[in-house]
Amino acid sequence: MLTRDRQPSSDRALPTFISLVVLGILLMTLHVRLEGGGVVDILRTGTQAIVSPLQRGVSYVVNPIADAIEGLGDISGLREENIALRAALEESQAELIAVEDQLARLDLLEDLYGLDELDSDLGRTVANVIGRPDPFDASFIIDRGSSHGIVVGQPVIDSNGFVVGSVSSVTPVSATIVPITASREGVIVLVGSQVGSLTSLVNSDEMRLEITDAKEPVLATERVLTSAASVSFPAGLPVGEVVEDLAIASGGITGVVQPYVDIDTLRLVVVLAWPADPISAAGQDEVQVEETTTTTISETTTTEGG
Amino acid sequence: MRSRRVAAVILIVVGAVVLQTTFFGRIRLITPDLVLLVSVLLALTRIKPEIVLATAFTSGVVVDLLGSSLLGLRAIVFTSAAYVALRTRERADIGRIATAIWAGLVTLIGVLLLVLVGTLFGQSSILGEHVFSRLLTVPLANMLIAFLIAPLLVRVVDQDPAALRY
Repeated sequence: MLTRDRQPSSDRALPTFISLVVLGILLMTLHVRLEGGGVVDILRTGTQAIVSPLQRGVSYVVNPIADAIEGLGDISGLREENIALRAALEESQAELIAVEDQLARLDLLEDLYGLDELDSDLGRTVANVIGRPDPFDASFIIDRGSSHGIVVGQPVIDSNGFVVGSVSSVTPVSATIVPITASREGVIVLVGSQVGSLTSLVNSDEMRLEITDAKEPVLATERVLTSAASVSFPAGLPVGEVVEDLAIASGGITGVVQPYVDIDTLRLVVVLAWPADPISAAGQDEVQVEETTTTTISETTTTEGG
Repeated sequence: MRSRRVAAVILIVVGAVVLQTTFFGRIRLITPDLVLLVSVLLALTRIKPEIVLATAFTSGVVVDLLGSSLLGLRAIVFTSAAYVALRTRERADIGRIATAIWAGLVTLIGVLLLVLVGTLFGQSSILGEHVFSRLLTVPLANMLIAFLIAPLLVRVVDQDPAALRY
């Protein structure tokens, strides 16, 4: 065995270690007490502002390499995936014909009643995913920030319009997104005509659905959309689908929802400029959920009508 | 000499942070925790133990600030892992494989501590998808990377081409 002549670790290592752990606990306490705002927010924004240009530059170089490695890893599953995709394509084509028919009817009815799609004029910022903090943190970093109009709390969707998560912190050139599957805050959703809540599950990409005042059972593959009662997302965004048939038990329904978005494969996201007036919305208390929602919808309707 | 060593440590830590958040954040095939690994491997160098602990703490704070979880969480975890590494580093001197296994085991202690403290503080972003599988894949990936880079890192930091030549 070959022992190197190093600095001895017995004299001041333990006091230093204890001091640093105490300092770490103080930082954690400070973070909890400040609820992520104040000094913590300034530090976070400052660090991200320094590191994000480096991340952007390195991403530009390493992304093709990462894609190549990912491609190699996926080769084994491609054949099975192709067979499954062909079957899904045939099924989708059949559904598409039915949907086109329904869309034609919808257009006709919208013309008749003079309706427009709600929130169709929402500002959208397309951003690339440039990194993730570490293997245990589900949040990810995008290459657009406050200089592109992104504000903390704005909802994020993928290129198909499926809900991804929301903006947790912003620097001038980057932003950190927390996916709904890792967020401590639930999402108010609509399943059929019933309002429920979705919360994240430990060690799972699925989410827990809870409908407290259920009126009817929920069937498997039923779509789960964001509700108008949600203060974090505009109404009507697709979130996922129910995994299995759910019966009413003790007046409520509890089950599992599979979100449409696979966070690990995300390369591109869209940040929605919602609510239309983030400053006044930020001032609203969570207790005033109904008031906020009503204001937003009426504002949007007025704008579009005007 | 000292300033070159400081510059080398800063460059290595910043490089690890940037590579971790970009390259290793993109690929699912291998999921190391490069910053934690650097904090552990610095224990093998001739840097003063207090400086190794302070570097681990600072690296943890930086990773915390780049993510969405509690500030100080990784700082505590990285510092604890570095302390364990300092106390057990003689066991890594046998050879390259021993160094890799040692780095993997210290990483395992680190990630277990991260999940434990994260759970106690209600950090749902840490307890998300793949948390249990990553308790194994992260130490394994760190073991592999330590096998490849540990001697080189020690030689660069210590400015000693003969370091860790088994």
